[in-house]
Amino acid sequence: MIDLAAAGSAIAMLAGNPQAWIWMIPGLVIGLVFGALPGISGSMALALVLPATLYMDFLPAIIFLTSVFTGAGFGGSVPAVLMGIPGTSAAVATTFDGYPMSRQGRHNEALGAALIASCIGVMLSYAVLFVLVQPLAEVVLRMGPFEMAAIGIWGLVLLGSIGSSSLAKGLFAAAIGVLFGTVGMNTAGYIRGDMGVSWLLDGVPTIPAMVGLLAASQLFALVNTRFIVANEEDRKISLPRILAGGASVLRRPVTVLRGALIGAGIGAVPGVGASIANLISYGEARRSDPEPESFGQGNVKGVMAAEAANSSSEGGSMATMLALGIPGGGATAILLAAFAMHNVIGGPRFMDENRDVVYAIIMSNFAQAVLLVVVGTAFVFVASSVVRMPLRYLIPCVLVISTMGAFAIEGSHAGPLTLCVFAVLGWLMARNGYPVAAIVVGLLLGKLIETEMLRAWQMAGGEWGEFLNHPAALVIGALMAVSLIWSAWRDWRRARARRVAASAAS
Amino acid sequence: MSETDRHGRPAPLRFSWRRVAWGELAVITALAAAALNYLIEARGVSLNPGNLLLLQPTIWLALALWAVLAWGCLRPPPAAAPPESWTDFGRTAAMVLAFVLFILVLEEVGYDIAIWGFVVVALFIGGERRWPWLLLFPPVFTWAVVEAFGWLIPYPFPTSIV
Repeated sequence: MIDLAAAGSAIAMLAGNPQAWIWMIPGLVIGLVFGALPGISGSMALALVLPATLYMDFLPAIIFLTSVFTGAGFGGSVPAVLMGIPGTSAAVATTFDGYPMSRQGRHNEALGAALIASCIGVMLSYAVLFVLVQPLAEVVLRMGPFEMAAIGIWGLVLLGSIGSSSLAKGLFAAAIGVLFGTVGMNTAGYIRGDMGVSWLLDGVPTIPAMVGLLAASQLFALVNTRFIVANEEDRKISLPRILAGGASVLRRPVTVLRGALIGAGIGAVPGVGASIANLISYGEARRSDPEPESFGQGNVKGVMAAEAANSSSEGGSMATMLALGIPGGGATAILLAAFAMHNVIGGPRFMDENRDVVYAIIMSNFAQAVLLVVVGTAFVFVASSVVRMPLRYLIPCVLVISTMGAFAIEGSHAGPLTLCVFAVLGWLMARNGYPVAAIVVGLLLGKLIETEMLRAWQMAGGEWGEFLNHPAALVIGALMAVSLIWSAWRDWRRARARRVAASAAS
Repeated sequence: MSETDRHGRPAPLRFSWRRVAWGELAVITALAAAALNYLIEARGVSLNPGNLLLLQPTIWLALALWAVLAWGCLRPPPAAAPPESWTDFGRTAAMVLAFVLFILVLEEVGYDIAIWGFVVVALFIGGERRWPWLLLFPPVFTWAVVEAFGWLIPYPFPTSIV
């Protein structure tokens, strides 16, 4: 599976090319800063720096761009942990436990854990890519609408009741989110729910809606609070505590490994990527934990699972891009554009003829992951000063920056308007105990599930029995059913044990 | 302390108009009404499964859940936390209102004036009363944001001064 001659050539290529190394740290810093700005995605950062790579050689240019990609992957988790605002859709699940940890004064540990989980996620996914780049890409090509719909429903089922005191509230919020996700023109060409607004034909703008829902429910709820962290002692920014948070990741290898594998697998599927991988990884970590009720309350394992998955999905999406020439999302599309700028066409032929270059790109990403530990720690150290800023200043500043980010994403007033509508909705829902995160998950997965269900329906000619002819979808469905039954059985046993203990005590 | 029946079990909650969770009921009813309206509109577009495959069952589920939740709003359990004071609620509502107004006037007055105005008002709502800060921070922040995003964003946004 590994072409040793090409690997040796890749090492020689990197060792003899100082230009390939000097752009790595600037790339990581640019990615971290852009990823940390709410609404400004890694794709936008890549688009902005793309012209600068025109006069670089091919390999340094791609390494610079993948450094930005890697930095942005972790950058999004910094506002997610500190303010409950995901910098990118890939960091949504990081807010579920990262932000409660910050409110408890454990922001140092949360950021340290997020950083190390991200670095390990990147390394593991590129290790998988190094060994399995071709077979992984071939598996991805076999994923059809039945399998994709099953993955989408799996994510929704796992996360339908996030952070809610009642299952009905969680499901209601998730259903409303799914309905928002179906607004506009669907793949069959039907236009619904657009209210005559032209920009809603493409659906509700996801990033502004997500920032509005999550930012508002947090920021408006904090208007009567002075600081994010109530206790002054806990506001300290402590390098030993950041490192301790990072070290805690090493004590939970299963959580990180599972997250990295989920991320690499789902990240490889075009059009799905990090935004769903982090949700499914979080849901799986919560489901399989002996104390699932501690998730959403500040369980560091939730941060690790989400971060390992969203970072490892980078390697997965690179596999599809390198082996098949298919971009999995905006960032890999820009990387393909960078290939084209240098007269290189990604895909199977590029893989066959330039395996040493592919290996050099993969190896440089190992180095980026190691450098990210150092650069990311310094970044976290500076960014953590947010918790010392009085909220009366932080709230208007973040709301304004989010508004500008929403404008930047949409290029029109549609972004700020969407942000505002969902900000008010998020505030109202959160005030009444409804899990805003479930609406976000519904919104993210609603469109995907509808699109894939429609394709499956059309391919099957309206016969649902056709599902039985898709073994991968059956396996995903069976895994979903087994995990749900197992969780229900475990909850029932736990409740029975509590009843027995209570009756014995009385 | 919660009431108990003659066997010592928690007594069923009695209905009282004053105990109804009116705010929550209004929010979920508005959402359920919007969902029902969405269903009627979508069915008006087409009854083809290509249009209603996911949408219709999701709306039926949302309406069924609304019935369950609305029943719960009529008989809410005793609140675990003390209710929010009217002053605190007023301050939060004022911030929400200021944000809505900020978004609505962005295109009318220009992003710079709107940002400056929103930051002044939000600082005041947040409790800032030091006039030097109220005078200096908003224009400096506005200038920094407009300049930074002007550099980042490839398309123009309307401004009046900066």
